[in-house]
Order: sequence, then C-alpha cells, then structure tokens
Amino acid sequence: MDSANTDALFLRPTDIKAALVAMDGGAVPVAGGTWVMRASLRGDSNDQAFVSLSQIDALHEVAEGEDFLRIGALVTHDHLADFARNLPELGALTQAAGMSANPAIRRTATIGGNICARGFTAADLVPALLALNATVEVHSSSRQDTTPIAEYLQARTQRRAAGLLTTISVPRKRGHSAHARALLRKAGEYPIANISAFIDMDANNTIKTVRIAVGAVEAMPKRWHSLEKALLGQPFSADAADMARDLLDDFTPRDSVDAPDWYRLRVLPGLVRQAFASITDQSREDA
Amino acid sequence: MAVTFTLNGQQRRYSGDPRTSLMDALRRDFRLTGTKDVCGEGFCGACLVHIDGVPKVSCLLPIGAVEGADVTTIEGVGDLGTLNPVQQAFEDFDVVQCGMCFPGMVMTLSHFLQDNPRPSRDEVKSALVGNICRCTGYERIIDAVMSLHNSAEGRK
Repeated sequence: MDSANTDALFLRPTDIKAALVAMDGGAVPVAGGTWVMRASLRGDSNDQAFVSLSQIDALHEVAEGEDFLRIGALVTHDHLADFARNLPELGALTQAAGMSANPAIRRTATIGGNICARGFTAADLVPALLALNATVEVHSSSRQDTTPIAEYLQARTQRRAAGLLTTISVPRKRGHSAHARALLRKAGEYPIANISAFIDMDANNTIKTVRIAVGAVEAMPKRWHSLEKALLGQPFSADAADMARDLLDDFTPRDSVDAPDWYRLRVLPGLVRQAFASITDQSREDA
Repeated sequence: MAVTFTLNGQQRRYSGDPRTSLMDALRRDFRLTGTKDVCGEGFCGACLVHIDGVPKVSCLLPIGAVEGADVTTIEGVGDLGTLNPVQQAFEDFDVVQCGMCFPGMVMTLSHFLQDNPRPSRDEVKSALVGNICRCTGYERIIDAVMSLHNSAEGRK
C-alpha cells in the first residue's frame, strides 16, 4: 500500500478546525477507538478514513472550578475517575468511570466516545452525566453550541453529521451522587442495568433535589421522572426501592442475549437501594 | 504515511493500512504471535500489550495510533533467555494450561505489580478483571502472584 494512500486513511490533526474539515470530507472521528474498531462485529462498514483526535491537546484537558468540572472529550475513564475522586458531589461520575468495563479499556475509552458511540446501549458514564445535569459543547464548521446532554442524546444521529463533541461540563452543586450497576459477573462486563442518582437534602434530611437516570434498560439512558416526583419532598430515609418497584412501567426494557427484558426491570429497585446506600455512606463521611 | 514506532526496543515501520488493528499487524506483519486473537472486543485481555509502559488492548487500537509510541509485547517483556518475575512465578507454580490467556495475564500483572508490589488476593483479582481464563479457575494464578511477595522479601 503506498504512502500517499495510507496518509489519507488515518488523519492526525492537531486542532479542532482541521478535524472538522476531515469529518466534512467523510472521515470517522476516532477517540480511544474501542467502539469504532468493533464496527465489523456490528455489521457496520469500516471503509471510511479515520481522523484520530488524540493529537488535539485541548480535548485531553480537565479543568476544575468552584462550581463546575469541564472535561475534554478525549479524557479517558481512568483519568476521569482519578481526577474526580475528591469531588464528593460527583461520586456518580467517579464510580461510573472507575467501574466501567475493565482496567485496560478504562485506560483507552474516552468520555466523548462513551457519549457519541451510536448504538451503544450500556454506557455507564452517560447516566451519570444525565443525573448530574451535564452539558456538552459541540463544534461545527460554522458554530459552537452548548446543549444539555439529554437533548444531545436525542439528536445524536443528526449531531454526528453536524459536528464534533469537544467538552463536557458538569455543574458542581451541593449534594451527593452515586452510580450502581448490575452485571452477570462481578466485574468486567457491560451492565444489564445501571442507575445514577443525585440527591440534595435540607437540614431535616428531606429530599429537595433528586435526579435519577437509568441506563442499559432501554436503548438509550433516560431520567426516571416518576420516581423523582415520588421522592421529592420525602425524607431521605423513605424506602426509595419500594417506591421504584411500583414505577417500573416507565420503562420498555430491551430483550437481548445478555439479559431478558423482565430481568432488567427486576434489578432496578435493588440498584436504587444500592445507590441510596452509597449516598447514605457519603453523607455520614461528611458529618 | 508509514507508522514508525518502537517495538520491543527496536525501531520499526509499518507501511500497510494504518486502520489495521495493532494486534493484526503484530501477528501478521511482525510475526509476533504471542499476542493472541481471541474475543476481538476488548473483554478477554489475551491481546494486551504495553503502550508506553501501560497495558492496552491491541485488538481495538488502530496501528496508526501508535506513531512514535513504545510498544512492548509478551516477546519483549523479559530479556532474551530470561523470564520476568511474573513469568517465572507462573512457571514455578505450573499454572499455564492452554496458554491463550497467559501473555495477557503477564502484561497486566507485570504493570500492576510495579505500582502495587504487595497486593492482597482481592487486589490481584481486581487487576485481572480484564483477563479471562477458561482453563484454570484463577486461584493458582493468584497463588503464583502472591508468591512474589515472599520472593521480594527474600531478596532484601
């Protein structure tokens, strides 16, 4: 294969603008590569040129402010878990990043890739970002938009044609968050269901803010609004798992080779219990 | 664009399709078949290599991504004719059965033990979450790793 041909197959721009030019020319953006390189296993085409984003320094940065955490799209799960471990309100993010897949994948797979991987039903970071009300910054050749992650996920197919996700911003709000997941083995696999929860309580331990996101049950992660409504204004000690058991109709679970639909629903109340127990532990540590 | 990188201490060059997985290039073009082609999805760990000293799955890494990097495979993890401590421990405890998972196990554990020289059994098991073995049941592997504590103690 001659050098001129191979140059065109694997592009390595050093800035966002050059990456966008490559994408407009039909090249597939590659972050860690853990999703793109499995295209043939999914029956997808792998004929397009790759534009590797790894040389764009700005995409690897993590910036911590008093009320935000700004994460570049190429930040790996491993790096994120390490960085965010001392930010208790972002416990869901730390846990999701630190438990996902296996150690070698966590060193390679990126937060941007986790969000942008079309057809990936079992992301851990995405529910955590939903529960934490994250926004994403998307660059195209003509504009730059900041969008709530829920909205970005809905438009994901169109967004791929429209631009490059460059940054994820997570607000740092008073409260605690946790991530819980159910697997077939103890570790090292995709979750069959996962939950991220963010809770803020008042001085009487009454829940004043609650966000609960569920992943891997349906094709896309989503917020569990009926459970959030039921919990708002309740004492934190209320049995959230019990409430969850009565609100499973909110979901149309997917049936697949790793788990049947009914089982994905069956484990949800237990995951709610686990997430809330983790938040209880965090609150005790703070006290 | 040929991809130029260091492979087991030597400068090498790959002129094929840079989207080729590093695993395929190592096995097919560089004839280094110690890196195993098993799941192709990053779950089993049989294809692990060190990239700049860190274990990564080579089945999901396009070779174009290792331009300028230092790549070490199982063939390069010890000196010629000498097994590294993890390999020697596996030999001493006679833990290898079919052999498909062990290169990946060595790559994981050689790195893990650098930063964690005295792990507990549970910590070793956590480190091996991404290395699947269908033959052994793992416990003897852990025994072999735990024996390295004592070796380290004996060498003091």
